[in-house]
Amino acid sequence: MPMRLCWDWRLARVFDDAGEIVDESVWGGRRGVGAVADRLERLSSGRMSDEARVLAQRFPEAEPCAVHDLAEGDWPELALEESELLGRAAVQLARSGVAAAAGDADRRLEHLVRAAGELRAAWGTLEARVVEWAGLFLPALDLDAARDAMPQAVADADSLEAAATSLGTEAADVVVPAAEWKALNGWAQGVVDASARLEAVEQAVRELSTSHLPSTSALIGPLLAARLCTSAHGRQRLARLPAGTIQVLGAEKAFFMHLRSGIPPPKHGHLFQHPWVNRSPRWVRGKVARMLSGKVAIASRLDAFDGEPWGADEAAALERQVQAIRERHPRPPRRN
Amino acid sequence: MARGGRSARVADLSWAVRTEGRSLWSRNAVPGVAVRGERLKRRRGEEWRQWSPRRSKLAAGLLRSKGDKGSLLPEPGTTTLYLGAGHGTTISYLHDHLCGAQNERGGCIVAVDISPRCMRDLVRLAEVRPGLVPVLADARHHEAIAPFLPARVRWLFQDVSQAGQVDMHIAAAQRFLAPNGLSLLSLKSASERSEHGGRGVPRDHYDHARAALTDAGAEVLEVIELTGWEEQHALIVSRMPEEWGKT
Repeated sequence: MPMRLCWDWRLARVFDDAGEIVDESVWGGRRGVGAVADRLERLSSGRMSDEARVLAQRFPEAEPCAVHDLAEGDWPELALEESELLGRAAVQLARSGVAAAAGDADRRLEHLVRAAGELRAAWGTLEARVVEWAGLFLPALDLDAARDAMPQAVADADSLEAAATSLGTEAADVVVPAAEWKALNGWAQGVVDASARLEAVEQAVRELSTSHLPSTSALIGPLLAARLCTSAHGRQRLARLPAGTIQVLGAEKAFFMHLRSGIPPPKHGHLFQHPWVNRSPRWVRGKVARMLSGKVAIASRLDAFDGEPWGADEAAALERQVQAIRERHPRPPRRN
Repeated sequence: MARGGRSARVADLSWAVRTEGRSLWSRNAVPGVAVRGERLKRRRGEEWRQWSPRRSKLAAGLLRSKGDKGSLLPEPGTTTLYLGAGHGTTISYLHDHLCGAQNERGGCIVAVDISPRCMRDLVRLAEVRPGLVPVLADARHHEAIAPFLPARVRWLFQDVSQAGQVDMHIAAAQRFLAPNGLSLLSLKSASERSEHGGRGVPRDHYDHARAALTDAGAEVLEVIELTGWEEQHALIVSRMPEEWGKT
């Protein structure tokens, strides 16, 4: 058996080839919870304690060895106060680890992206209701043309007649009780409020995404970049995904249907939301999404591994490529 | 028959864990506090907490084991390693048994979990239950766990629902479990990929785990299927041989 060097947070020991203790160095510092926590953290990351380092210099031929691989009795057990100290230091370390999670941009981005999604869904139902509800009392109004102005107008008015006037129309000839108007008015205020909150959340997504995923954000826009990152469960995992997976992120249902029942695979997932894909003619969307996903795969790796970030130049070059694809396929392929 | 189940047969599994008929109870180390809203009751000045097999796979395993149920638990007052601690429900009962009030028994549970969300609950638990050592780390990352363990443990529990649980368990046992030590693997079949495509049958995964543990030199004592309490789960109990972990 070679010469071995063992250490934990309390002491370090060198054993010779016969298993006898040759040298020992005991931590002499004040044994406070904070100091023990610092030592444990250092050991957890695979580094040596100061005592072990001293012994390693004294016995360079000694091989590092875990205390768990020693024979029984070769390593001192924890004294009662040492166990208590270890427990309290562990609690402190765990607490600071939990606090450090707040700095994790992936987790923050996930909350923001999901909040934006939930708020958008809620806004959609609220807005549809206010248009139909107020529209019931404003029979002459062109609902399609006035749709965008309606929530604000109803929210700002203090009566149905005032809302009608501000929308340039007339209210129906029915008596609307005060309570009913109040409910409608409050509903409209909720819609206006939801749009403001949605804007605030999306602004926060844009800012965080631009700093966390600069290249991907520059290429396909910060909102879409954030959505891809969240779908992939973090920046590191996005960077490790192949382009083919990025292409169908967000289309998991269709993709697994493809695997299970052999229907054609989805051509695009979240990437469909980009105008380069959804404004392209149907028959080139798959080609554009495929090319785009390749570029996103590269950009996400630049973001995750500290590469030279991409900017407007690369985005412009990409747009030219998208144009080239569109021009190469002006007509739908002929069916045989 | 008196109310309160006086008629139910009481069997002690340890000084702090007992069955009463079909329910499982542990002596509360923090009297007056229920960790997850479970039932508390007083018996001759002692407070007992109900340990539900629906919430804890260890409880389910204890109730369903056909062997000596008490032998599945670690020796009170020893150091144990728990990988995949979660929010600490099972941990709290283990603490009742291993440590007792204010750690009167001098036990220690090193509870490892990777999720900060779980860790904050564990930290709160550790504040009132000395002897519980929470560690925020990946259970596969032995280097991060080792500094918290002064020696090999005689009892290891693993409950991580992810692919490769069996290999993870064997690796952890080889690194941290003492010769003759007991290892309990809570296997979630749905987390494993099947070699033949599709979902695979839970029994196949149990058999595969049994074979892998046997190949590694462990003696598989019991495979306890938890169906009814936890679907597609089994608790695999194995004992390490005398020469385990010797290099």
